[in-house]
Amino acid sequence: VKTTVEEILARCIEDIKAGRAGLEECLGRYPSMRGELEPLLRVAMDVRQPADVRPSDAFKVRARVNLIEHIHAGQAGKRAPGPVPGGRVAQGWFTGWARAAAVAIAVILLITAGGTGTAYASQSSLPGDTLYPVKLGTEELQRVVTFDDAAEVELELKFAAVRLDELNEIVTTPEDQATRGGIGCAGIFPMAIIGVGLSGPGESYAARPDRIAEAIAGYQRNLSLAIAKAEQVPDGEASLERVALAILGHLQRLDAIEDAAPESDRQAIVNSKGIAIDGHITAVQNLAKVDPVRAAEINLQAIQGRLDRATAEAAKGNGQGVESALQQYEELRRFSGRISAAARTAGRDTKAIDELNARATTGQLESLGKIYGNAPQETKNSVEQAMGVTVEQHGQAVQGLQQQGAQGDIPTEPPLPGGIPDDVKKNIQGPGSGGGSGGGRR
Amino acid sequence: LQEPDTIEKSREIEDLLDRAINGDGNAFGRLYDMHVDRVYRHIGYRVSDHADAEDLTQQVFIKAWQAMGRYRRTAVPFPGWLIKISHNTVIDYYRSRKPETHIDLDFVDTKTDRNPERMAEAQFERERIRLGIRQLHNDQQQVITMRLIDDFSFADIAASLGKSEGAVRVILHRGLVKLKAILDRGQR
Repeated sequence: VKTTVEEILARCIEDIKAGRAGLEECLGRYPSMRGELEPLLRVAMDVRQPADVRPSDAFKVRARVNLIEHIHAGQAGKRAPGPVPGGRVAQGWFTGWARAAAVAIAVILLITAGGTGTAYASQSSLPGDTLYPVKLGTEELQRVVTFDDAAEVELELKFAAVRLDELNEIVTTPEDQATRGGIGCAGIFPMAIIGVGLSGPGESYAARPDRIAEAIAGYQRNLSLAIAKAEQVPDGEASLERVALAILGHLQRLDAIEDAAPESDRQAIVNSKGIAIDGHITAVQNLAKVDPVRAAEINLQAIQGRLDRATAEAAKGNGQGVESALQQYEELRRFSGRISAAARTAGRDTKAIDELNARATTGQLESLGKIYGNAPQETKNSVEQAMGVTVEQHGQAVQGLQQQGAQGDIPTEPPLPGGIPDDVKKNIQGPGSGGGSGGGRR
Repeated sequence: LQEPDTIEKSREIEDLLDRAINGDGNAFGRLYDMHVDRVYRHIGYRVSDHADAEDLTQQVFIKAWQAMGRYRRTAVPFPGWLIKISHNTVIDYYRSRKPETHIDLDFVDTKTDRNPERMAEAQFERERIRLGIRQLHNDQQQVITMRLIDDFSFADIAASLGKSEGAVRVILHRGLVKLKAILDRGQR
């Protein structure tokens, strides 16, 4: 088969770019084509990326925050229900002129005697309430007057906790009591500017699922901003750690909210735990760049939290609760391996991380054994899979330790808990056990 | 065989893509973290203004988010898809502006060479090539930048552009022939 000049040119470019050959060496391989190839290869070599064209960290953070804001603004728009008879629904995430108007209104309210009362009253409002945009406006004001990155992180974490309080209140208020007596705001002219319905109390409320979605979207936004700000703090390990630890608290809070919520609202709460876990992974990943051991420790705390949740759900006989907690467990357990891998790639000593991960295995398997014993029959397969992931990740940690000659007394094969049938044990310890039966839950 | 770390990483990316396609903004935020440097580099090479490069990079991710529901990961690799959006964004940018000829020294490589004369020379040469690339056909611009600037493999370029690898090699060859002619013309 005749090789075309296009193929030869492509091959030479590949070899030169990969450092497998120099220009002369390549030309030497095809002497009859030298005249045609050489000028083209020289042009190709001139088209190269200058080393310093890279975005600044400040730009990346700024652009990320803008992107997340854009996403939230769009999602709030998508969730907007149709027009409510007698008035429009207050939207939680408002951007551009609407947000500016809300801040302006908050300022007006704060500097007038009656307004101070309204702004104060807005603090107890919930997503979908008439005064909720004023509450967000007062938060925006606080952002405007906060100049220190670390303080901004704290502020966003405070707002994220407020979103969880709102979520709790929405889901724990019985449907028939959800239409509360409106906080009097008729006559506050500027409210019309931001599109808040001014009709009678009760008419401007959004549907319950939309209010829940709005609180969750707000939580996600506050969390993203907290993480983005923490990345901006010079030597920001403390801020990243602060965010990661706060999220551990959020997960526990969300567990409690889920327990108190009616069945119809639970899936939304489970989804918000997914958001918290994503936030945890992002914050811990960033922390791992500067302090991988601390990152691994915090991740192990998060893992234990999910195991505790699965244990509690198994004791209640709630198979769905066990499944979702184990799904989160697996994600975090795999993430442990990634912390170690990233540290290794960065040329750091991973001994302490691998040891932490490997030593945690026995306790984790014991907990999973108990869950297996209590879990409803249809959930046992998920527990088996979680054990598989644990064994697989243990294997990776041990491999890391072996490469550093530091396995010590850590067993290569972790002991599986009693009470597990032999065929299940075989499955768990089999090759590629963690992802073998489909690569994890999807 | 892939290394376990690589398998884990690609599993993570698949998972993020699935979630972003289903409207998960946080997952998309993480995809942004992974790809922003590459997108910026692609755009930074093709526009001469630093602030414009930042602005266009933001636009690319917003467009990508808006189109995410239509993205099919089996058809096009995600980085290639992003670069395709970047390419179209740069084309739109040039369509909406007057032809420019100035050289922006923002992108001068100050780390490797601090000799002002050589810096200016290198920058001038780079600018000349950049302007030359802009005179090529769309597909030639895309293939040349994806292979020579962004370091995509021929297979990935082919998948991203919906062409065969052979066709991509032909486009690269023709593009380089034309670019050489443009650069020679400029020197005369």
